[in-house]
Amino acid sequence: MALNGFNSRFGPLEILSETQVREMHKSTLKVIGETGVNFHDEKALQVLNDAGCKVDFDSHRVRFPEHVVMENLSKAPSTFKVKARNSTNDITLSSGGPVYFGSSSGFRTIDLDTWEPKSPTRKDFYDFIKVLDYLPNVHQITAFPYFGFEGVPQMMGIIEANAAKIRMSSKTQMEGAVHDNDKFTLPMADAVGMDLCCLVNPAAPLSFYETQVHGINRFSEADQPFHFASGPVMGATAPVTIAGGVICPNVESIAGTVLAQLNKPGCRIWFGNYANEQNMSTGSPSNGAIGNALHELVFNQMARYYKIPTWSSSSAWSSSKQIDFQAGYEAGMHAVLCALAGASMVILQCSLTMQLVAHPVKAILDDDIAGMVGRLLEGVEINEETMAVDLINKVGPIPGMFLDQAHTRKWYKTEQYVPAMADKMPYGEWVKHGSKNALAHAREKFEEILATHNPDPLTPQQDQEIEDILKDARQYYRKKGMISDEEWKVYEKDLGSPNYPYA
Amino acid sequence: MENQILEELGRTVTEFDADGAEKTAKKAIGAGIDPLKAMDSLIAAIRQIGVAFGRGETFLPELIGAAASLQRAMPIIEAEILRKGTVRESLGQVVIGSVAGDMHNIGKSMVSSLMTADGFSVHDLGINVSTEKFVEGVRDSQPKILAMSALLTTTAPEAEKVIKAIKEAGLRDQVKIMIGGGAITEEFAETIGADGYDATAPGAVVAARKLLGK
Repeated sequence: MALNGFNSRFGPLEILSETQVREMHKSTLKVIGETGVNFHDEKALQVLNDAGCKVDFDSHRVRFPEHVVMENLSKAPSTFKVKARNSTNDITLSSGGPVYFGSSSGFRTIDLDTWEPKSPTRKDFYDFIKVLDYLPNVHQITAFPYFGFEGVPQMMGIIEANAAKIRMSSKTQMEGAVHDNDKFTLPMADAVGMDLCCLVNPAAPLSFYETQVHGINRFSEADQPFHFASGPVMGATAPVTIAGGVICPNVESIAGTVLAQLNKPGCRIWFGNYANEQNMSTGSPSNGAIGNALHELVFNQMARYYKIPTWSSSSAWSSSKQIDFQAGYEAGMHAVLCALAGASMVILQCSLTMQLVAHPVKAILDDDIAGMVGRLLEGVEINEETMAVDLINKVGPIPGMFLDQAHTRKWYKTEQYVPAMADKMPYGEWVKHGSKNALAHAREKFEEILATHNPDPLTPQQDQEIEDILKDARQYYRKKGMISDEEWKVYEKDLGSPNYPYA
Repeated sequence: MENQILEELGRTVTEFDADGAEKTAKKAIGAGIDPLKAMDSLIAAIRQIGVAFGRGETFLPELIGAAASLQRAMPIIEAEILRKGTVRESLGQVVIGSVAGDMHNIGKSMVSSLMTADGFSVHDLGINVSTEKFVEGVRDSQPKILAMSALLTTTAPEAEKVIKAIKEAGLRDQVKIMIGGGAITEEFAETIGADGYDATAPGAVVAARKLLGK
C-alpha cells in the first residue's frame, strides 16, 4: 500500500506547443553544448571528459554534446518509488503522474500575534513535525522545516532536524545537506528502512561547486533520490524573460543528471524548480510573482519532454510577512498552477516572509489549499449516474428538490471538498460562535493536534540507533572543531533537558 | 419479534429508507406493537442523526433523508396513538409550516425532525401554508409554539400577516411564535412581534425550549 497522491483526470496544462518545446530543447542543447557548465571538482571533470564532453580543466568548464545529454537523460527513471518509514506512506514520483504535496520551510518561527520572527525551541520543532505528520495532504516532509533550533550548534542543525523528523513522522522525508552531514543523515534513514530524498543546489548561473558535486556523488552512490534546484532569479542569475529563465535551470539540471547517471546509471533524480522573478525595487527574489508560476508551467512541460519527475516550489514561498490575504492568494494561486503544470510534487505547507519564517498554523491553513487543489485535479466524472438525467426528470421543477435524494447522499461527500479551517457559517451563526476567521480556527486546530495526535513511534531499538548516530555526529564535529566550546556548553544543557529529545 | 420490528423501524430512519419507514410503521401497528414504543424507536433514531449532525459527523443530506423517513412513519404511528387514546409525554405541541408562497421544505423539515427528536410533538402543516391555515392550526391543535419558515425575502412578510391574524383571532396570548429561514433576521423577527428566532435548525430547538422555560 502507498499514498496515491492526486491523479489529474484531465492532464497537465501545456502552454507551449510541441514546436515551442522542441525550440526550447534545441536552445538548451545550444547553451549546454556551446557555453556549458562549470564543475569545480577535478574528479567530476575527468568523468565527464571520459564520457565524451569537451572539458577545459583550467576553467572547469564542461560542454556537453547532444548524444551525451540524451543518452544519460534516458537512463534516469521516469517513475520511481520513495520509501517511507511506514510503507502505507510510500510515494511514487512519476513524470506526468500523480501530484503530491510536500511541506516547505523557513529559517525561524513567528509570533502569530506580533508577526515577529523568533528562534524556535526544540519543542517548537518537534511539535511542528507532529503537525506535518497529522496533516492529510502533506505527503512528504521536506528539508528542515526550521533551519535548526535554539541550543543546537549550527553544524548539528540539519542532523538534529533529521532525527526529529524520523522520530515524529513515518511519512517520506527530504533533508538538506551542509558540508558532509549526510554522513549521519543517510545512516539515520537506513536505521529505520526509509529513503531520504536529498537535494543538490547548483549555483546559478550554470555552476556546480565542490560540495554540490560531492552531493551528486554521495547521493547517487548511496542510491538515494535527489533533485537539482538552483533557484535562479530571473533578471539576476537567469534571463529576465521566462523562456530564458527556464533554459538556465534546465541546463543545470541536465548537466547534474548527466554526472549522476555516469556515476550510477538509473539513479533516481528529479528536476526541482526554485525560480523567482527579481524584485526590481528591492533586489530580492519576488516570491509569489505570477511570472514564477509561468516559469513552473514551462519548466514542468520541459521536464515532461525529458520524462523526469519534478519538484515545484513557487507555491511554497510568499512575500507576505503575515498570514493574511496576500499569503493566501500567493499560496493558493501558485499551488493550483503548479499542480496544473503537472508537478510530481508541489511544495506548499508552512512558509512565510520570503522563507524567513515558517509556522505549523500556516501549514494547517495551506493544507486546505492542497485539499482543494486535489479535488480540482479529480475533475468532473461524466457518466449516466453523474449526469443524473433520470433524477432530474424525477424531481422536476419546483417544489422538486435534490437534497433528500439518495443520489445526493451517495455523491455529495466525493463531489464536494470542504476545507477544514474555512469559516462558512451564516453571519449570525458566525457571531454566535465567536466571530472566528480561518486563522483563529487553525490556531485552535494546532492545539488540538498537539494534544491528540500520536505519530507512529519508533521501536526502542530504532530510537537508540538514531540517538547513537546523533552522538557520533556530535563527537565528529566537536573533534573537527566545527562545534565551538561556547556552542557545546549551550548544547549540553539542551541535551540534559528532562524531556529530551522532545523539549 | 417486537424488538426486531422496532429495530427495523429505527433503521428506516438511520438508513434513509422512506418507503421502508411507511411499510414498517404499518407492520408495527399490524403486529399490535404499542405505538408509543414505535414512536420511541423513531425518536431515538432521529436523535442519533441529530446528534451526529450537531457534531459535524453527518450533514444536511443525511438529516433530510432521515426526516423524510420520519415524516412517512409518524402520521401512521400518531394516528394509532390517537385511536388508542393513549397520551404521549411531550415537551409541548408545535405547529410548523412554511409561509404562503414559500415552497421550501428543507429548513422546516430539519426543525420539525430535530424538535421531534428533542421530545416535542410536531404537527407539520407543510409548505405554502396560507394565513388562514396557520390560524386554523393554532385554533385546532392548541400548540404551545407556532413555528414559521420563510426562505425568500418575498415571502418573509407573510409571517407578519400570520402574527396579525393570530392576534385578531384572539389567540396571540396562548401561543409562542417563532420564525426562521434564510430571509429572516433577529431584527426582522423582533420588528414583526415574533417571540423567538434562530438562524439554524439545532438553534431553533434550543430557542423553543427557552420559550417554554425548559
